[in-house]
Amino acid sequence: MTAYRALNHADIEVFSESISAFFENMTRRSAQVRTAYLLEAAEPIVWDDFNGLIKVSGGFRGTISFSAPRTLLDEVLKAMGEPSKSTENYLDVVGEIANQLSGRARKHFGESLDISPPLSCKRGGFIVTTVATGPAYVIPLTWGSYQAHLVVHLDLASRR
Amino acid sequence: MTRKKLLVVDDSTIIRNHIARLLGDPRLPNLDIVGLASDGEKALAAARDKRPDLITMDLTMPNMDGEACIEAVAKILPETRILVVSALSDNATALRALTKGAHGFLQKPFTDDSLIAALLELME
Repeated sequence: MTAYRALNHADIEVFSESISAFFENMTRRSAQVRTAYLLEAAEPIVWDDFNGLIKVSGGFRGTISFSAPRTLLDEVLKAMGEPSKSTENYLDVVGEIANQLSGRARKHFGESLDISPPLSCKRGGFIVTTVATGPAYVIPLTWGSYQAHLVVHLDLASRR
Repeated sequence: MTRKKLLVVDDSTIIRNHIARLLGDPRLPNLDIVGLASDGEKALAAARDKRPDLITMDLTMPNMDGEACIEAVAKILPETRILVVSALSDNATALRALTKGAHGFLQKPFTDDSLIAALLELME
């Protein structure tokens, strides 16, 4: 039977760096990543207008979600040269951000961090099943005048 | 220089459109888009039909994933050059994609300059 451990500070730092890399590379504008804190809520997600979710398996179990207001996603789409501001594009980009932030973490965690294609929804659009048993960390960020949240709720196989 | 045909494969519409728009850059005057595909199955069908010279290929996609698609395309179009453009950043994944037939690997998030440079390198 596999034993799991919760994330530590170095693990969380990987996701903070991923946030910075996304905004610098894809929008050419830096994001300010703030100090992570523990989420005290029934679901491992901070709901916002649009939400992207990655399910994690392999040597890990849990979820990674990115949630942002429509106004932030408007600006991201604009910075990426996307002229169409449709619900489909908001759902697409919020899922893609969750995907990129999760995928980049494999440089730290290795290929056993098995990530699903992103699921995207409007606020409250799906039920996020709690698989991990350790604490969920919220990483808040500010980009321009907008705020968004990455929530990392992962258990790591302790044999790593 | 002869014109080259590019197929863009990614499950994100935003990323597909973003890559397609970069073909308007003056550094890529000889590259034309021949198709956009949202998963490996559609990409394989488009590759058979359009016979692209280059493909940008995501890895994490529904239906057929990028690795399976690379392997299939490499068998039917061995001359086609494949640039993996993926968020999966570990070395093992990159090495596996290259072993299966990819010719380059660009990590997401990418800058416009890095993607253009990677495409130019594959066109040489």
